Amino acid sequence: MEKTLRVINEIARQGIIKAYAIGGGIAATYYIEPVLTYDLDIFFIPATEGIDVLAPIYAYAKKAGYKTKAEMILIEGIPVQFIPTYNDLVRTAVENAVSLKYRNLEARVVSPEYLIAISLQTGRAKDRERVIRLLDEAAIDHTVLARILKTFGLAEKFKKFECRIHEK
Amino acid sequence: MKNKTAERIFAQKRARRAQLAKLPFEKKIKIIVELQKMASGVTKNAKKPIWPI
Repeated sequence: MEKTLRVINEIARQGIIKAYAIGGGIAATYYIEPVLTYDLDIFFIPATEGIDVLAPIYAYAKKAGYKTKAEMILIEGIPVQFIPTYNDLVRTAVENAVSLKYRNLEARVVSPEYLIAISLQTGRAKDRERVIRLLDEAAIDHTVLARILKTFGLAEKFKKFECRIHEK
Repeated sequence: MKNKTAERIFAQKRARRAQLAKLPFEKKIKIIVELQKMASGVTKNAKKPIWPI
């Protein structure tokens, strides 16, 4: 994990990507009870806009000798999925990522409030479960969360979601 | 939920999850790897890689 994060930091340091933040199950695990996952999701802001924003990352990986499998790059034994910021919410989440310390290394991770907003927007069963867990177990700044939800038009969706999970 | 025994059990489960949530990140990654090892016995997950940490 440490080696993998070091490589990702290096990709950012070389300017191959503008910025990144860990998302998905590993980001959630930073805040809540560990959950089984196999992939390390990396949201990133591309260095340049273009048709294939993944190409420079794949080129770096190939040069470094890392294999690719389907849409993943196997970096130091861990399948990493690079996901370009696909909308304003995800881009803002990367811009407002927080620091994570792993052994002697610092990495960037999506904050719990943005993670809730992204999960709510994505809306698959596992995302809904993640929202519940984050609300239940993570230290959430509800003022920040409310602002994010309002900014990205998710306030009503969240209200309905909260009503459903509190139904008895 | 009206059953007090069940309510107590669920409260304990919540407390356990909250406790796990507070673990250091490094420890959590070790737990994920243990989960990956356990899941590797299940056919669907047999080919998924176990992280070398």
